[in-house]
Amino acid sequence: MKPLIMALAVATMFQLALPASASAQQPNEAAQNELIQTLLKRIDQLERRVADLEPPKAPAATRPAASMAGMTMPHPESQPALEGPNLKIAGFSDINFSASDQPASKSGFNEGQFILHMNSNLSSKVTFLGELSLSARGDAGTGTPAATGFNAEVERSLIRYDYNDYLKVSFGRFHTPINYWNTAFHHGQWLQTTASRPEMTQFGGRFIPVHFVGALAEGAVGAGGLNFNYNFGVGNGRGAVISRGGDAGDNNNNRAWLVNLFVKPDRLYGLRLGGSMYRDRITNATNNVREWITSAHVVWTRETPEIIAEFANVNHENITTPSPRSNSQAYYIQAGYRLPMLEKRWKPYYRFEYIHIPLSDTLFQSQGVPNLAGSVAGLRYDISTFAAFKFEYRNQRRAPNVPRVNSGFLQTSFTF
Amino acid sequence: MKQLILILLITGLLCSYSLGGNTTPAAADIAVVVNRDVPINELSFADLRNIVLGDRQFWSSNLRVTLLIQAPVARERDVVLKNVLQMSEAQFRQYWIGKVFRAESAAGPKTVYSNEMALSLINSIPGSVAFMDASQVPKDSKVIRLSGLMPGEKGYPLN
Repeated sequence: MKPLIMALAVATMFQLALPASASAQQPNEAAQNELIQTLLKRIDQLERRVADLEPPKAPAATRPAASMAGMTMPHPESQPALEGPNLKIAGFSDINFSASDQPASKSGFNEGQFILHMNSNLSSKVTFLGELSLSARGDAGTGTPAATGFNAEVERSLIRYDYNDYLKVSFGRFHTPINYWNTAFHHGQWLQTTASRPEMTQFGGRFIPVHFVGALAEGAVGAGGLNFNYNFGVGNGRGAVISRGGDAGDNNNNRAWLVNLFVKPDRLYGLRLGGSMYRDRITNATNNVREWITSAHVVWTRETPEIIAEFANVNHENITTPSPRSNSQAYYIQAGYRLPMLEKRWKPYYRFEYIHIPLSDTLFQSQGVPNLAGSVAGLRYDISTFAAFKFEYRNQRRAPNVPRVNSGFLQTSFTF
Repeated sequence: MKQLILILLITGLLCSYSLGGNTTPAAADIAVVVNRDVPINELSFADLRNIVLGDRQFWSSNLRVTLLIQAPVARERDVVLKNVLQMSEAQFRQYWIGKVFRAESAAGPKTVYSNEMALSLINSIPGSVAFMDASQVPKDSKVIRLSGLMPGEKGYPLN
């Protein structure tokens, strides 16, 4: 490799020394690319020739690292089991500015979540994945002892055994696979087009159980080009605080279960169609409720356009006191388009979202799950491959007789 | 001495192209080359896309797919991104970061920096698959038939 570097350096110096008239005769960009390819081929041939001429060497102890998208990955041959797991860490974060006309609200900057994503191959078929978040606290420094500045939370922690494409089994803490957004974007704001998640799948929200502690089986089969995917899960379900997943144990003897099915047809590359069912029994100080969630999604993942639409119905039945079943519903539809000009860096988007909690839903009413009808319009600008700016306007109404709230957001989100 | 000859050769080569101008080589087909242990000889175009997307991760229960892809700027990579995935370089990188983050794949594709490196890894890693200029593939390598066609045949989809 050293002679190549030297050769390229010498060639670069020679080119810099060329008069302007010679530079002006350079071929256009496409021709230059062709030229680079040809030179790379020649270099390959010369390297092979040199290798033929040189006497054989003893194999090197370590091979160079290969990399993808900024993440260093050990060379596949340099992963001996004796050295132990090979941990890889990636990070995500975002910084936000917001302003709103809601009474008593204050404009200003805030730190988004600081996310560390850990991934480790324990063997060729066993993988660990962890996701740790640090979230800024509004009550930092108050109380006795004084509250810390950030809350640490294990968002995901799972070990997975991949038998083959048809069957992968994992255990741990997941983002519940009962809709698309919850398992497509996780905590990295940079991954999603918009500055915020839809409210029905908001972290800390209560409409759907965002986290799930238990076991999951998943896989995919070709199914004649349909690419049929499935998830089956069994876990603790919602905890006594319904936004949490029962990390320290189930609070009743009923396990939650879920089925999530979707297809990604070969003929319509970019389309994903699916639906899911989730069943749980929620027990806390004031409620003993059977929950049945059904949801569906249609997603077009290509960015010209990008379309994400989801609907979920949450059915609650009070077990202790016989009463009519209630159905709370939420949906959103989001559309974006990666503009072809300006190096495809700009992507305008719009989302409409809606949540309706009937008065008969005593569980959601007691937990203060709000109604919503609102729009989000924004513009994403990818300042680099790994960082983006998002400018977002929101217009939301919580109830028919409540004034609309207008808000503006500026976010920079990135991966590192 | 050999190093010096190599330096002079490459320097001369680069300079002759810089001054010489418009020599444009004909575009060659890109071959799908796999390790000899891979138990298949043919892939559909959709299967190939599923492999590059990381949606298909196993050739068989005991043989995992290891995807090797040339570093950016290489023509092999451009052809795969444009013809197979219809993605830009940035979209491809973002896609794979998301794929790993979603725990749908334990790792992204391995980047190779030359055809020599690709061949070396193909020969040493069971289940590996790489994309190479068909004219540079040694005769003893295992080349996959794509949608029923070999590189060089009319209608071959990777060029």
